[in-house]
Amino acid sequence: MSRAPLWLRRYAALIRNAWLVDLQYRASIVLWLLWGVTEPAVALGIWWGIAGDGQVAGYARADFARYFFALMLVNQLTIAWDSWYLDGWIREGELNFRLARPLHPAHEAVAENIAYKARTAGMIVVVWLVVSLVWPAVRLPLAPGRWALTAAAVLLAAAMRFFISFTTGLLAFWTTRATAIMELHAGVSLFLSGRLAPLALLPPAVAAAAALTWFPYMLAFPVELLTGAAQGRAVVTGFVGQLVWLGVWIAAYHVTWTRGLRRYGAVGG
Amino acid sequence: MPPAITADRLSKTFKVKVRDPGLKGALRALLKPRYRDVHAVRDVTFAIEPGEIVGFLGPNGAGKTTTLKMLAGLLYPTSGRVAVAGFAPWGGGPAFKRRIALVLGNRQQLVWDLPPEETFQLNRAIYDIAEPDYRERLAELVALLDLGDLLQKPVRQLSLGERMKCELAAALLHRPPILFLDEPTLGLDVTAQEAIRRFLTQYRERYGATVLLTSHYMQDVTALASRVLIINRGRLLYDGALAALVARISRTKRIELVLADGVTREVLAGFGDVKEFRFPNAVLEVPREDAATTSARLLAALPVADLSIEDPPIEDVIRAAFAGGIELDEP
Repeated sequence: MSRAPLWLRRYAALIRNAWLVDLQYRASIVLWLLWGVTEPAVALGIWWGIAGDGQVAGYARADFARYFFALMLVNQLTIAWDSWYLDGWIREGELNFRLARPLHPAHEAVAENIAYKARTAGMIVVVWLVVSLVWPAVRLPLAPGRWALTAAAVLLAAAMRFFISFTTGLLAFWTTRATAIMELHAGVSLFLSGRLAPLALLPPAVAAAAALTWFPYMLAFPVELLTGAAQGRAVVTGFVGQLVWLGVWIAAYHVTWTRGLRRYGAVGG
Repeated sequence: MPPAITADRLSKTFKVKVRDPGLKGALRALLKPRYRDVHAVRDVTFAIEPGEIVGFLGPNGAGKTTTLKMLAGLLYPTSGRVAVAGFAPWGGGPAFKRRIALVLGNRQQLVWDLPPEETFQLNRAIYDIAEPDYRERLAELVALLDLGDLLQKPVRQLSLGERMKCELAAALLHRPPILFLDEPTLGLDVTAQEAIRRFLTQYRERYGATVLLTSHYMQDVTALASRVLIINRGRLLYDGALAALVARISRTKRIELVLADGVTREVLAGFGDVKEFRFPNAVLEVPREDAATTSARLLAALPVADLSIEDPPIEDVIRAAFAGGIELDEP
């Protein structure tokens, strides 16, 4: 018998609860939305000023506008807060009842992600549509094939960022500084994942170093796919990079979860 | 029928980092960490039959919760064997987890910002409970626990006692045959404690559930459990009936008197150790074997309006058990 209906019911219930909790904190939804919009808006403002009427590394003003609108959306669709949740669960002993249930705690985390992303990204799409009515620069060319590819890349990036965040959160089994490690990761990603500027603007040596890490694949690649900046070979290497790093992070998660649980089982909560 | 729960020479040793106070201590711990073994549970052996309610007693840090967590599969035993409902709890998987409920009195699974019914609905999905079963069980739990209008109130607005009742309902919707309850009445007022005890008795009677509960409140144990496990410093000190323990430990009985008139403390002292004297009430403590004869002498010699012979308070007995270290073997 198929287990699919059971899992659908479980996810529906988990997502429903996440949304119900969200509704209790309506002001914080607005604040998080503002946070999600402000950072790319500020970066766009800076590059808009620098570009003037010319180009910076092939980016004109309109290109920057499209890039940062795409970034805003892709970031909200792929961001993961799981390390903060997990750190709390582990340190406050809230992992106990979750381990006693016949459901792996990661499912709750995945459902939280879906709930958060659907809500916030939905609002950003609306903002983008409204802005594009009055500002042609941020309009995207109609390209369903490219959008479909972007959807796949966003899914892979979201999965990767989930496993990065979840795995880092699991470090709370060993250290009380798991969230600090995640903050450090976020700090590095500011530069290497394309949050502050398109990667084409990085000094060549830094860009080459970044290409050896997972950072470009968790944000910059799907953004450039959406804007059309990634073409031909770059699309293929982008997907390959995503798959490889996703595999690495899933493996890291697996090792950390198994060992962490053993340790938890050894030292207690 | 095989026992519902067995623990065979179960032990758990934690490695705990030792840190001296102050900055120097922190630095030293960072550079050269030192560890110390803490034997939380040592060679604990017992078996609990299906349908039994067993009280698990011990002071703070005795090893109660550690044992409970090993039985629920959260902790991995350092040595020894455990079987719960035929499963080895660690790695027992979903099939094992459907057979147990674990309620930790100080940690809740209810979603803080939502009414309890939302957590119930979530558990319905997690445990895959069919809708008609869910409705029937919920109605039953609402009636037994007197949840009434609590289901729609956000959890954060519930009192501690109301929360614990809802917590139990959430943990029992999948109708587990084995319950591990860690301090289920902690911090509750007397009425709420009684409601929880009444409910547990009824649940056991209806479904033949096996219950292992830890508690600081002796009333929980005297009201619910005919059998107790007493643990201290990780070792099982006693496994048996509560009444037998009292008889074994306490060498004395209390004679509670209501006096008519004209009796002084000094007069009473001739009959035994006067524990309390506030006319007309008095309490005498006498050797266990002398209780009957002393009572007869009291009735003959003094104007006694009422007399009863009691065991010492169970708290005193347990305290004596922890302090004295009783032999595990039955007499």
